[in-house]
Parts: sequence; structure tokens; C-alpha cells
Amino acid sequence: MKNPSSLRHFRAWSIALALFVLTIMIVVPLVEIFVQSVYRDGELQWAAPFRTLADAELFKVLMGSIWLGICVIAGTTVLALPLAWIMVNTRLARWRWLDIVFLIPFMTPPYIGSMGWILFMQKNGYLEQLIPGLSSVTPAFFSFGGMVAIMSLHLFPFLYLMLRGALERIGGSLEEAGAVLGAPFTYRFRRIIAPLLLSAYGMGAMLIFVKTIAEFGTPVTFGKRIGYEVMTSEIHKYISSWPIDFGKATSLASVLLTACLLVWYAQSILSRRFTYSLVGGKGSRRSSLHSQGRGTWIYVIYVVLLLLLSIGVPYFSIIAASTMKLRGVGLAWNNFTLDFYRELLTWGSASMRSLMNSVLLSLAASTIAVVLGTWFAIVIGRSRTRMERTTDLFSLLPNTVPGIVMVVGLILLWNSPWMPIPLYNTYGMVILTYVILFIPYTVQYVKSAFGQIDSSLFQAGQVFGGKPHYVFRRVLLPLIVPGMLAGWMMTFTIASRELVASLLILPPSVQTSATYIFAQFEQGQVSLGMAMAVVSVGLTTVMLVIIESLGSKRKWNA
Amino acid sequence: MVNFNSIKMGWKKGTSLTLTLALGLTLAGCGSNANSTAKEASASANNSAMNTQANTQATDQKLVVYSAGPEGLANKIIEGFEAQTGVKVEMFQGTTGKILARMEAEKANPVVDVVILASLPSAQGLKNDGLTLPYPEAKNADKLNPDWSDKEGNYFSSSASALGIAYNTKLVTTPPTSWEDLTKPEYKGRINIPDPTLSGSALDFITGYISDKGESGWSLFEQFNNNDVAVAGANQEALDPVITGAKGMVAAAVDYMTYKAKAKGEPVDIVYPKEGTVISPRPAAIMKSTQHEENAKAFIDYLLSDEAQKLVSDAALLPGRTDIKAENRANLDEIPLLKVDWSWMNEHGAEVSDKFTQLFK
Repeated sequence: MKNPSSLRHFRAWSIALALFVLTIMIVVPLVEIFVQSVYRDGELQWAAPFRTLADAELFKVLMGSIWLGICVIAGTTVLALPLAWIMVNTRLARWRWLDIVFLIPFMTPPYIGSMGWILFMQKNGYLEQLIPGLSSVTPAFFSFGGMVAIMSLHLFPFLYLMLRGALERIGGSLEEAGAVLGAPFTYRFRRIIAPLLLSAYGMGAMLIFVKTIAEFGTPVTFGKRIGYEVMTSEIHKYISSWPIDFGKATSLASVLLTACLLVWYAQSILSRRFTYSLVGGKGSRRSSLHSQGRGTWIYVIYVVLLLLLSIGVPYFSIIAASTMKLRGVGLAWNNFTLDFYRELLTWGSASMRSLMNSVLLSLAASTIAVVLGTWFAIVIGRSRTRMERTTDLFSLLPNTVPGIVMVVGLILLWNSPWMPIPLYNTYGMVILTYVILFIPYTVQYVKSAFGQIDSSLFQAGQVFGGKPHYVFRRVLLPLIVPGMLAGWMMTFTIASRELVASLLILPPSVQTSATYIFAQFEQGQVSLGMAMAVVSVGLTTVMLVIIESLGSKRKWNA
Repeated sequence: MVNFNSIKMGWKKGTSLTLTLALGLTLAGCGSNANSTAKEASASANNSAMNTQANTQATDQKLVVYSAGPEGLANKIIEGFEAQTGVKVEMFQGTTGKILARMEAEKANPVVDVVILASLPSAQGLKNDGLTLPYPEAKNADKLNPDWSDKEGNYFSSSASALGIAYNTKLVTTPPTSWEDLTKPEYKGRINIPDPTLSGSALDFITGYISDKGESGWSLFEQFNNNDVAVAGANQEALDPVITGAKGMVAAAVDYMTYKAKAKGEPVDIVYPKEGTVISPRPAAIMKSTQHEENAKAFIDYLLSDEAQKLVSDAALLPGRTDIKAENRANLDEIPLLKVDWSWMNEHGAEVSDKFTQLFK
């Protein structure tokens, strides 16, 4: 360290640069949106957004959104917490491939998953065709509870990944120490695991909440059916039906944004109080407390049941719908056909082109998002200073506004007449949009990994003469690579099924698999759309398996 | 004691620079293609402006179309137009709502040259906002149904659909013959109606019905509500449960979708109620902001040509020209019609849609 002061200088520059990039990418488009909401009919009307909000109906809708968010947090916790514990502490932990399988619900576009459930449970649906006796039970599914169940089953993998990462970093030794001193399991969970988990859980729960209230697919398919209105469906109404009113939509979006920011603030306080250094110089290993064979079958049953509900039911419907000659005939062997897959996988067809578009665009977007996101996460560090917290907040913004609002902001910015970079209506614009929409994931994953690394590790590297570059490469990078990998996988997964932004931002004549599916639904080709869903989710799974198997070779702490 | 932060800074300077560069390059790389084509386009536009008018058509080979409605038909029309003129068409395909949202977002710097919408009031709205380019000289425009197109040539309805009652033939053995039939208790909870905020044609039906019957027309929709008629998304979303048997019927169903499903062999059919229904025309318009005016005009001419009108009829839509008959569907003269007032419907669309939404809340 010849010149610490100039290095400190660089850190300041790095933060400033990160803030600058985030401002251009994320804040300016949102400001454009805000300008739209106060600048109406050619004049400035500051009161316009407030007038929209004064509506009592709207308050009910907002409460509906928030209540849904809370219920889905509860739902995902019930599903993900036991699963994370099982996948870290029991024999099932050896089945790493399960991690990819558990991502499948999250890879499934939400509206497809909901359609799967609807087709399964509706009147004369697949369940009634299989077991006619259950026809008196199925109407009960079309309720608020059913909506929470569908959304929880869709979102739980997200919380699971975060919790499992945190549990792994806790390692076994702390809990063993508790056990040696005579603490029973419940006490150990309450006094050791829970406090250590709280920071990661808080972050996960916040993102689940935000994802739920910004979610669009399930409310528009299932919520509409049961008459449960949320903010996103209201926003979407103003943005996609004549007369288009961006002002109203953006006013509503700013309410949603405020709700999300409040939750973010609560979470950041929580996380600052409960962040502990867990990854120190001592190697960590799995606890041997739970590895005995006893009781394994209970865990297996839990995992199988969860898979059955989160993948089995929706995919039964999706695959059934994709292999039917006539959907009016229903489940029957003589109604079975693979023609739709044949049509889909014909080389050079529109469907193949859109599939390739999806893969290439999400590859590019996830790679850029991971590189940028890691940089932001490291800049944020433990968000001690105001600058760091601002970076944290900015990098999270895209996750707090509904995708459609963010996208409108991006179009307003990048297609404005004074914009010197002609990015709009190119593939570059699509990549940029995906990067912006999904960068919060990498930031959160890497931040969560980075926050738990004890600084003694860096000091040790330095004491032994490691140059900053060396310390980064050999100490920091290996420790955050799992977080980066998780971020990459998540971004790739979501980008490859992204619908709302793609619908608005893809250049004319270009389709991705998600817009292709949507177009098939619009055109009444439900079977073809469902077949495409199966193919694209299958393709994503294969890609993830390849990445995971490459990644696991480099695991520093298996 | 050396600050831990200082270690991070060292590498970070290098990394952040690299990152920024990499991102910049990637995005520039992606953008450059389009950038150069855009430059070429504008260069050629400049050139042609300097040359004679005749040259314009030779150099300008591009057209951007935003089209709502059946994709198969739109693709065929574009193929036909490209084959005839050699102009390369870029198409964005979506619902009327999505197209309007995209145009609104692009308002400052419009991209689209020609729009084809599935809702006449939307096109009237575009015209009233001064966004359309009149083309009164369009070939065959005089043969179009005058009720559906603009006299000043701002929009041309090259096709139309009629709204009826679609029903599942396995579940409904004696199809209803009038709108009132749908209020019978035997159909309670078994009927869908498309959401007028998402489906332009459903809005056309509701406003059309009210414009014919006056305020008393609302009693039909009140009875619909009492009979648990479900408001279910856009047209296809409303029809799909009827195909799978979850629901029995769709009120105000778009007929060409039903004809298409029926042709595939699905157990559905459609009836037009005896007291009359509404036709939902599908207008095309040239945008005033077009960069490719000649191509846009040629496209309108093509839409109204015999060839394109034949494609329309093949897609089970009503041809916009009165002199061309549809072969595989009910023709206009076979469909009982309500007496609707389109200018009233345009003015009161938002109001009716709000009232309907409130009613079914």
C-alpha cells in the first residue's frame, strides 16, 4: 500500500461512477415517468397525481396489493424455510440437481403457471376429468387462498435460494457448539440459526413482497377470475386500453414505488442490525447433527409433495394442453398428438427464431447484469455511508416498480428526439432493458454473500503481501462466486421468460419465446403456446444444468 | 493498520473502468447495426429528396406496420405486399391496447407508418388528435362500406368482424336466439363476456347496444350481472373456457375467432341474435409522422385490393369492400344489425366502459 490516500480516492470515484451509471440507467427513466404524471395537457399540474390517489376505490386496491404481498411472504416462508434446512442439513443435500429442479416453478412464466392451475381446477377441468367426484371441491380453489397458493408456489424458489445460501454460510460449528452445551433443537433454532438467518430472510422476504405486488401474470389470469384487483392490474389498464393515460398509470406506479421503498427501508434497518461476519478464516463444514439416516423419509416426502404441487400440477396441465388435438375433447388417448411440437421445432420457423432470440438475449443480458451487479454490490459493501445506501436503493429500484412502468420510462428516455445514442428499436435496447430490470437480483445475491465475509480475510491477504488485485482474485472473488452464479442463473431464468417488457420494447418483426407464447394465446393457439412453454423451460433447465455442473467443479468449499 | 477499504479500491478502479468500457462497447455494438442502417436510411432519404420524385420510390424500401388482430392474416398480407412492391415491412403484432400504448410511448419520436386497429373509435380518436395522414385518393376506397371508413380518407376499414353468441355445442344443445335469452336462470354463471376495457369489439357491442336502445339498454347488462355473467379478459380469453367446457357461452364474441376454432374441429359455434348485433370494423390508418409516405399509401392500396380482400375473407373476417363476398362465413346481409351511431359511440365510449365496469364490480 504505497499510496493509501490515492486508493481511497479510487473508491470514491468508483462509488461516484456507480451512482452515475445507475442514475442514467434507472433514475432518469423513472424521472421521465414522474414528469409524465405531473405534466398533463401541455401544462404542469402538481396536484394531478394526488387527485388520482384521492380515489377511495384505489385505496382498497392498494390494500389488496399489500395484503396479497404479506400473505405470499407467509406462504413462501412456509414452503422455503423447511426446504432450505433440509437441503443443507440432511442427506438430501447431496442431491444438488434438486436445486435446478426447484428453479423450474420460477422459470415458468407466471401467467402460464396460473393457466395450468386454472385448467386443472376449473369446471370440467383436468382434475374433474380424472376424478369426477372432486367436482364439489374445486370451486373452493378459486378464491384468495388459491391465488396466494399459486403465487407462493411460483415464488418460493427465490426465497429458498437465499435461505440456503445463508444457512450454508452459517456452517455447522455454531450449531454444534450449542448442541455440545446442551441446547435442544428449538432453542438452537431460536437463538443461533434464526438471528443469523434474519438478514438474508429479511432481504428475501422484501424481494418476495416487492415481486408479489409488482407481479402481473397471476393477477391478470387468476385474480381477474376471482375478482381480486391489485395495483398492477389497475396500472396495466391505464397503459394498455384506450384511452391510454400514462399520467394516471404513473401516479399509481409511484404509490407502489413508495410502498416498496418503505419496505426496503425497514429491511435495511433490520439487516444492518443483524448482519454478522460468518465467513472467517476457519474452514466451515456441514454439521453432523442431522446427517443420521433416521427420519430421512419424512424429508423425502416433504420434497416430493412440494415438487408435486409446484411442478407436477401446473406441468401436468401445460403438457396435457400442449398435446391435445382438440381442447374441447379433453383428456383422452385418442386426442393425443405431438404435432404442435413438430410444428414448433421445425428449423427456420418463427418459433425457432424466437427461441434463439430468447436464449441469445438472455445470455447477453445476464452476463452484463452479473458483471455490473457485482460491481454495484461491492461498491455498496455493508451500506455504511449515505453514498453506499443510495447506490443500494438505486440498484433496487427496478424491482420495486412494475416492469411495465419501468419500460415505459425507458422508451420515453431512449426514444426521445434528443437522445444521441440510437439504441431504441435494436437488440441493444432489449438487452439494456433486461439488464436494468434484473440487476437487483445479482446485487442482492452478491451483497448477501459479501456482507458475511469477515474483513479479517482481506487483512490476512494484505499482511502476507497480497496486492489488491491478488487479494480480489484469490480471496474475494472465490467467496462471492456462488452469489454471482446464483445471480446469473436467476437473471438468465427470468430474462428468458420475460413478457411484459418484451411486448413493448422488442423491435418490430422480432419475437422471443415469451411473446411467441403470448401471441399464440391471443390467436387462440393455446396448444402451440403451451408447447412452446414446455420447450423453452426445458431449454432453460438444460442450460442451467450445464452451468451448474461447470460451476460446481470450482467450488472452494464443498 | 491499513484500511480494508483501500484494498478494495485498488482493483476496483481497474475493474470498474473495464466494466464501463465493456458495457459501452456491447451496447454500442448492438446499436451500431441499426445505427448504420438508420444512417443509410436517412442518407438515402436525403438523396432522394434531392433527386426527382420518381427516385423516391426506388430508394425507399421500408415500412413499419403495427397490426392488431389475427396474426396469420397480417403475415399473409405483408407477404403479398412485399412480393408486389419489394418494400421490406417490419411488423409489430399486438392487441389494439398494446399498439396504442407503444405509440403513446413513442410519441416524441414515432416509428410506425401504418396502423391496423381492431376498434373504430380508437381510429376516430387518432384522427381527432390530428395524428393521421389523409389519403382520399386510395384505390377502391369508394367501394368500402361508408359507415366504417372516413370520408376524408383518414382511416380505411379493410375488414370487420361481427359480434354474436359463441357457445359450446356439447354443453348447449338449443342455442339462444336473442340477447335476452342469456338472462335465463338455466345459464346462470355459465356465460363470459369480454372485458370492454381490453376488447375493442366488446366495447363496440356495449356502446352500440346502448346507442340503439338508449338508457333502457342498460337493463340487459344489469340482468347479465344478476345472472353471474363473468367479465373475462380479452376476446380469446373469454372464448377459451367455452372451448374447454368450463363455460357454456360467450356474449359479444368475435365471430372470426369462433369460426376459426370451429374449422379446427372444436365443439363451438356462433349465432347472431335476432334483435340485431354490432359490426366491429378494423380500420387502417397512415400516421402523419410517417417517414415512408409513398410506401404507406401503397400499403393502403394493397389492403383494399382484390387480392388482400380475398385474404381477409379466407381468414373468416368480413371484407371491408361491399363488392366482395365472404365464402366461409355469414355475410353482412345475413347478419341482423342494430342501428348504431358511430359518432355517438366514439364520444361516449369511455363513459359506457366505466359504467359497465362499475356495474360488474
